[in-house]
Amino acid sequence: MIYKVSFVVQGGTHPGGIQNLEERPQVGDTLTMGTQAFKIIEVMEIIPARGDFAYLHATCRPIDEKKTKG
Amino acid sequence: MVTVDSLKHVDILIGLTDEQIARVAAICHTETYSAQDIIVREREPSDEVYVIHKGSVEVILSGGQVTAEALAAAGPESIISMGQGQILGEMALIDSGPRSATVRCTTDGSELYVMRRADFVQLCEQDTDIGYKVMRNLAADLAFKLRHRNLSWK
Repeated sequence: MIYKVSFVVQGGTHPGGIQNLEERPQVGDTLTMGTQAFKIIEVMEIIPARGDFAYLHATCRPIDEKKTKG
Repeated sequence: MVTVDSLKHVDILIGLTDEQIARVAAICHTETYSAQDIIVREREPSDEVYVIHKGSVEVILSGGQVTAEALAAAGPESIISMGQGQILGEMALIDSGPRSATVRCTTDGSELYVMRRADFVQLCEQDTDIGYKVMRNLAADLAFKLRHRNLSWK
């Protein structure tokens, strides 16, 4: 299964993103978008799976606020 | 070389057989970008569709001239980061309009698969089963991006 995830960032200036992951993201996981690191605080299914793809929405927060600026 | 296996990670090709995906692979080539490279520029004519095979990009709305200097000076708004498997420039497949945003590479060594719009449309028209599935998947991809945008605004 491939997990297509819509990431929304709470706090900081990062606009969020969309990524395909090979493992389902879990609350507490860390991920990187570009050069910035984030911690996932919520995961939910956004639409039903199709084919080998699952569609999720995740909310995350910057791990280090200083790294999210500029 | 663009392989069938690598294109199985692209959800606009959901439902296609390996043979059909091979036909898509045959009209793709690979381009490599460095961080900060501009891949497409807002308002410019669009003739190609991109799939991120490796690396990441950011989508930027500049509201003005799209040069490196202008982007640096005007403080353009980065509206989304996109990684492996995501498609860029898909609106051009549907409406043939100019680029709606600038796309800038954010990871050195990013590899993008590139398809000429004319080749892709021709393939979809030659094999309408491919065309139907790809257009349905494109609509789903656009809907997913709209849902992401809606959730971002909450």
